[in-house]
This record gives sequence, structure tokens and C-alpha cells, in this order.
Amino acid sequence: MPERNNEGFLEDAWAWTPEVAEVIAAEDAIELSENHWEIIEFLREFYKQHEVSPPSNRLFVKAVKEAFGEEKGNSIYLMQLFPGTPAKTACRIAGLPRPTNCL
Amino acid sequence: MTEIQTLHILNKSPEHPRFARCLSIAGPADTILLIENGVLGLSTASASASGKVLALEPDMAARGIVSQSGTVETVDYDAMVALTARAQQVISW
Amino acid sequence: MSTLIVIDQPPYGSWAGREALDMAFSLAAFDQPVSLLFCGAGVNWLRKGQEPGTIRQKSVEKNLAAAPIFGVEALLADGDDCKRYGLEAEQLLDGVTLVQADSQLFTNYSHTAFAG
Repeated sequence: MPERNNEGFLEDAWAWTPEVAEVIAAEDAIELSENHWEIIEFLREFYKQHEVSPPSNRLFVKAVKEAFGEEKGNSIYLMQLFPGTPAKTACRIAGLPRPTNCL
Repeated sequence: MTEIQTLHILNKSPEHPRFARCLSIAGPADTILLIENGVLGLSTASASASGKVLALEPDMAARGIVSQSGTVETVDYDAMVALTARAQQVISW
Repeated sequence: MSTLIVIDQPPYGSWAGREALDMAFSLAAFDQPVSLLFCGAGVNWLRKGQEPGTIRQKSVEKNLAAAPIFGVEALLADGDDCKRYGLEAEQLLDGVTLVQADSQLFTNYSHTAFAG
């Protein structure tokens, strides 16, 4: 398992593998479905292009909406997939740094 | 209370390029409010503007700057808030 | 109620611009209309091909490319300042509009805030 910080986020986003995602998700009792992987892959690609995590939950939802439309770009859908603060939970599983403006 | 066209909130010292830029952009109908390091402009002779100039009193007091009577109108925090509410447009330099 | 955030300092040397970017993204997150203006040395934010990995910083070029996704309305740059820094249109990030950064431009916004 690659090195992680005290909140469980990877220290190095590039050390991530799908197996790492499975382990982190299991800690949150999340079993990764195709719907999860769609968002995880989206976040990986987002990070590759922008070198930043969506800074807040609102902006995470916005970015997903921009990519997949209303149906998936809404907080209820994302909350069901990634309980807690969806941006934090999803970024942690996707190996991205902690969103800066999430409490 | 009359409306202000543009309120310029200037917090840079006279050496900062934005200080001169602000003074050159502000028109006669505008108000310039000096705050933080901007109040240092009061102690340099060069600071002359076409609009009305105000200064935030607590920032002057903090720096030991005393206004020569009649040269500049000073405001407190409440008056600063009122000014921003009266302004059509605010530029924070 | 529309906000213009002005970045007039170059990237990488200080945090001022990044904080401004954060402010713009936060306004956009709450659906407040916001645009970014780059002028003075700030136009260097917009140069294509930045690779700041060796100075261990994240690319502001790549960060900035997320602005439209987050709902930032426009990326504006002062045309004269771009010329001054040798930036031709094709060297600028996609989606940048060249303008003249003067008091006329500021009248389009209820609040203009300079970064840092």
C-alpha cells in the first residue's frame, strides 16, 4: 500500500492503482460498482489534466455535471455512491489529494 | 445619501504600482478610500487625486499618521461599510 | 452583481495569484458570476507549455484550464501586456479573450478585486 496521510489520502497521486482504490473503498465499506469506477476514472483524468482535485464538494458536483450531465452531476447521486462528503470520499478512493476547501 | 459612482479601496503604499494606477484611473466623480498601507499616501506630498479622498482612521492611528486639518476626511469602520453600500461599483486595489 | 478578479502578478513567484484563483472558483461554486482578468506580468499565467514540475509546483496553466468547468465566465487578458511579454495569440491558453484593461472595462463589473 502506498504512503498515505492522516486522513487516508495518498501522498503521491501517481502511486495509485485500481487495487489501491479497492482497499481504500473497503475501509469505508464501499463495494466498487461500475458507477463508482466511472466517477473514479473521471477524477483520475481530471487530475491528469488539471493537477488539482475539485476544491470543494460543489465544484466536484459541477465538474461531474459538466462531464456526465444532470443525471449524475447531482449531490444525491454522488452521495449515494460516495457517502460522507462525496468529494472527499471519492478523491480519497481515486488517489487524489484532499479537496482544499472541504471541511 | 447620495450614490457614489465608483469607490476605490486602496490598500497599497505609494511605492506600489497600483497606487499610481488607482489615482490615474479615478475620475472626479469617484471616491478613493485609503486603508491599510494606503494611508501612508497621506504623508507623501505626491498623492493628489481628482476624486474625493477619504482615509480609514484606525489604520491612520495605527501608523501614527495625523491628518492635517481639512486635508482629508477620515472615516471609521461603520462609515466604510456605508460607503461600500452607496457605491455603484467597488474596485479593491 | 458580477465580479472581476484581476491577476497582475506573474505565476510561481508568490501565492497571490493562486489565492485569487481559489476565490474565483469559490464564487463560481456558489453560482456567482465571476471572470478573471490577467494584466501586467500576470499575463504570464496564460503561456502555453508550462512545466513547473522541476520547481515542485503544480502547473497554473493546467489549474486554469479547469476554470470553465467550474463555471468561471471568462478569461480575459490585456492585449498590450501580452504583446509586451511576447505572447502571440497562438501561445495563449485556449479560450482567452484579449481586452484593454482600463476603467471602461471595470464598469462592466459591480466589484473588481486585484489579487494580493
